[in-house]
Amino acid sequence: MIEVSGLVKRYGFFEAVKGVSFKVEPGRVVGLLGPNGAGKTTIMKVLTAYHRASEGTALLNGLDVALDPLGVKRIMGYLPETVPLYLDMTVREQLGFAAMAHGIKTRHKISDAMERVIQACSLSGFEDVRINRLSKGYRQRTGLAQALIHDPEILILDEPTSGLDPNQILEIRSLIRSLAEKKTVILSTHILQEVEAMCSEVLILNEGSIAAQGSAAKIAESLQGGEKLDFVIYTDSQFSSGKWMDAEAGLGLYMAESHQVSENSRRFVVKTEIGKGDELAIKVFDWAAANGFKLLEIKREQLSMEEIFVRLTGEGIKK
Amino acid sequence: MTGSLVIAKREINAYFNSASAYIFMMAFLLCSGILFFFNSGFFVMNQASLRGYFSLMPLVLSVFSPALTMKFWAEEKRQGSYELLLTLPFSDLELVAGKFLASLLVVIYTLVLSLGVPLCVSMFGHFDTGPIFSEYLGAILCASAMLAVGQAVSAASNNQISAFIVSVSILLALSLLPQFAIWIKLPDFFMSAINWLSLSYHFGSFARGVVDTRDVAYFVLVSMACLFLASRFLAARKWS
Repeated sequence: MIEVSGLVKRYGFFEAVKGVSFKVEPGRVVGLLGPNGAGKTTIMKVLTAYHRASEGTALLNGLDVALDPLGVKRIMGYLPETVPLYLDMTVREQLGFAAMAHGIKTRHKISDAMERVIQACSLSGFEDVRINRLSKGYRQRTGLAQALIHDPEILILDEPTSGLDPNQILEIRSLIRSLAEKKTVILSTHILQEVEAMCSEVLILNEGSIAAQGSAAKIAESLQGGEKLDFVIYTDSQFSSGKWMDAEAGLGLYMAESHQVSENSRRFVVKTEIGKGDELAIKVFDWAAANGFKLLEIKREQLSMEEIFVRLTGEGIKK
Repeated sequence: MTGSLVIAKREINAYFNSASAYIFMMAFLLCSGILFFFNSGFFVMNQASLRGYFSLMPLVLSVFSPALTMKFWAEEKRQGSYELLLTLPFSDLELVAGKFLASLLVVIYTLVLSLGVPLCVSMFGHFDTGPIFSEYLGAILCASAMLAVGQAVSAASNNQISAFIVSVSILLALSLLPQFAIWIKLPDFFMSAINWLSLSYHFGSFARGVVDTRDVAYFVLVSMACLFLASRFLAARKWS
């Protein structure tokens, strides 16, 4: 379990993380999401005892990172953003070094641990290749294998799929999902689909603070209902902009987009920015009926991770 | 200290997997050999003695030992493995001690290869073999202090070249201090203080065949102080 409370990290006068608190239960995969400079990597560096927190505490399975850094390093596996490997070593030598560093002593146990991670990270056939000859994807796999060599209880992964091809991404995602059954995993990523694909919970960071926390569905729900409502109406009469404004006022929502399907068509597509569940859908239905429009389609859709991200991190067009 | 042995093993492999250890050994042996046989008047003196060889040792080591230590931390930072080492379950002191041990073993190996010099000298006449022990012990202790200084500089530096230049400058200054002091004719009190600080002064007694515990203590103390300083530099980066 990871427990972070009131974590602050200052670099000189710059406050990179501003009082962040969160908890990751065992068997969960939590994704740290945020724009560049939001504090994701800094939080990871504090959790791995690479950096000291300026204030606050971070506990990994009850061990305080500041008071027992060695204990923390023994129970966690870390894959930094820049995969840290010795280019002059072969994959086998690198993994052997990591195994010995984690106190795996006998040759037999080291060999077993290596076999396990080589299989898990699909590195078979590359064991004796020098790392400077490996592609970026294979270096990433070696880095991940290295983080897994001692079968850690906690995994901290900074952008684990960066540089991988689509097949490798799918493999690594499924590996992380399978690992999460027994471990606590925290990962950061810029790829929003990755969060949806792998994480049971999301922590959206913005300018060093938590902007939202919870499952993607919960965060979407908290955003004023968190739904988009798209509908198509059929009208016999010409539609004026005044009518849209009336509709906007009457329904209490913002029409993000409305257009005639084609020049002579009497179909109009309307996309609302944020919906409010059943209540709004009923209002739309009543409004259409009152104005003599036929409602051809009505579609409720949850906000995508991209939309949640843009809203919470203040990027993109603010309405 | 198991962690130190793991680090030392990796470092020794790194030295011998690349050409760096071989270049170091070859350059060290050639340079010290040429200076001894052809520049310090060995043949003119007509004496089978190794004193000239070992009197050169502080200067030769001042230039060559930073070549082994300059990459220690600066290179780790450059290739990103610094973050790996600091997030593996090693204490800062284990990391520093492991790298130190590896560099010291390379120097000891080189000094073992330099036994060819006394063998050559023995062909020209009989000489006292007793001092050879103290001379080699002194060389190892002096190298240990120099490697520790070099590692402290490397830990504080982000760049190999600057780590090399700063280390050589510090070590040459520490080795040549007594000469400077004689040139500018300092009072006795300052002279003895400067001598106490100087690496070559403490090495001098070993070169004469004397093993003085004060000199042994000096080299051990300098080595430990610098290794501790290096570990503090690593720890300080956690706050940066």
